[in-house]
Amino acid sequence: MNDQVILRLILKDWRLNISLIIFAIIGGVAALGILLVGGQTPLVLGAVLFFTSMILCASFLPMSNVVNERKKQTLAFMMSLPVSPAQYGVAKLLSTVGMFVIPWVTLISAALYMILGRHVLPGGAIPLALILATVPLIGFCLITGTALVSESEGWAIAATAIVNSSYGIAWYLLVSYLPSLIRTWTSPVAVWNAAALDILGAEFALIVIVLALTMLLQSRKHDFV
Amino acid sequence: MSDLAIEMSGVAKTYPFFSLDDLQLNVPRGEIMGLIGPNGAGKSTTIRILMGLVHQDAGEVHVLGHRMPAEQIAAKWEIGFASEDMRLYESMTVAWHMGFIQSIYPTWDPTYAQLLLKRFGLQPEQKVKGLSHGQRVKTSLLLVFARKPKLLVLDEPTTGLDPVARHEILRELTDVMRDEGRTVLFSSHHTQDVEQISDRITFIDRGHIIDSMDKETYLDRWRRLRLEVPLGVELPALPGVINVRQQGRLAIATANAFRSDLANAYERTGARVQGIEAMTLEEIFVANVERSREEVEA
Repeated sequence: MNDQVILRLILKDWRLNISLIIFAIIGGVAALGILLVGGQTPLVLGAVLFFTSMILCASFLPMSNVVNERKKQTLAFMMSLPVSPAQYGVAKLLSTVGMFVIPWVTLISAALYMILGRHVLPGGAIPLALILATVPLIGFCLITGTALVSESEGWAIAATAIVNSSYGIAWYLLVSYLPSLIRTWTSPVAVWNAAALDILGAEFALIVIVLALTMLLQSRKHDFV
Repeated sequence: MSDLAIEMSGVAKTYPFFSLDDLQLNVPRGEIMGLIGPNGAGKSTTIRILMGLVHQDAGEVHVLGHRMPAEQIAAKWEIGFASEDMRLYESMTVAWHMGFIQSIYPTWDPTYAQLLLKRFGLQPEQKVKGLSHGQRVKTSLLLVFARKPKLLVLDEPTTGLDPVARHEILRELTDVMRDEGRTVLFSSHHTQDVEQISDRITFIDRGHIIDSMDKETYLDRWRRLRLEVPLGVELPALPGVINVRQQGRLAIATANAFRSDLANAYERTGARVQGIEAMTLEEIFVANVERSREEVEA
């Protein structure tokens, strides 16, 4: 019976934030459309708009879906429903992560199609693109976890500021210190060398750790309203 | 099955600047309990503990036979909770909220929900952000009432409402409470609202329950005696009298266990009883709080 309640809470969150998801997808698709024009400038513009769409979505979603629940005083309404605080946390985490993953997967799929189907970039760019695109997913999980555990707008804004200012550094470090990634990006087919697989594995392991830690801290809370 | 809908025993909760101490509160099934206290007395904390929203540091809490907070999911299927600081989703309509609650609770009564919509003058397609405060409160109560919960927990639902909206909500509450199987815990600092609908009243102040009994007993036992005290006469401390304030030759004695022979007892000391007045619940509440604070400070 309670799985149904959790599902209702997830659907409710998706309904409330549908416009944000649509805007993120539109922004990402527009970015990929610019890439189709071809040439150096559209490539840079498209890539910037593509990652900007992801980063904006990663910044706004936790604010809109998690922090606003307390800020707009709807948390008591939710917690009056037959759910435990841990179940509420699960529902909130699944809905927020799900909402980000939908545009993220859509945009990644569209980007892969552009590379493989339209040959906008060489196939060797796929591992690098995936590694770089997973960084906003990690940032999103960090912001969401901070927002859910702290339920504080201040902490969420601080986490967003730190995460957003770290993207450039993270990408720079990945590209600078892993020459094997750069060496293969112009090859006609994707090269999944050990470095690429290790980094992707580490990125997803970090995501799992952040989400598990968020659930652990959420389940240990004693006061909710 | 226990005859008590709410059992709180030895409940304590400590915050940096406030604490609930050794709270004992029992509400029998089918009873309407009014919880009265000044702002910051601990009404909302008490209610949040019994809803499982705040975990007590010590003590036992059972709601409808469910141990709280451990069994809060089972309890919350049967509890309808609305509080003054609870908000709905501003961007969504009244109808969307009704559909959302209906999708969760199989006990939702759509016919009754439509009836309440009409009685409260609510437009289902109106967004919550366009509603007045009174309409928002009515919407919250509609969402609770139409679920037909066994226990209604209402935390200051009439705060901030205009007299007409208050009247409408109290009238509807009275109707809802005709179902004798339903228990209600109603907190407020508006004593008139509580007096109008409650069977039993509990006063709370500074984290302590200072008195709890049925409404009629309060009104029967509390009296104010106006006394004329001649020079040289000293008023004795009489049992049942909690406070005497004297100014010159006039004194007012407040009794919380009034008996018909109390006036005779004062007359025997040489004082003259000018009048015996019944007290309103608000006056009883204020006198109770003052007595409790004086006892603590002494």
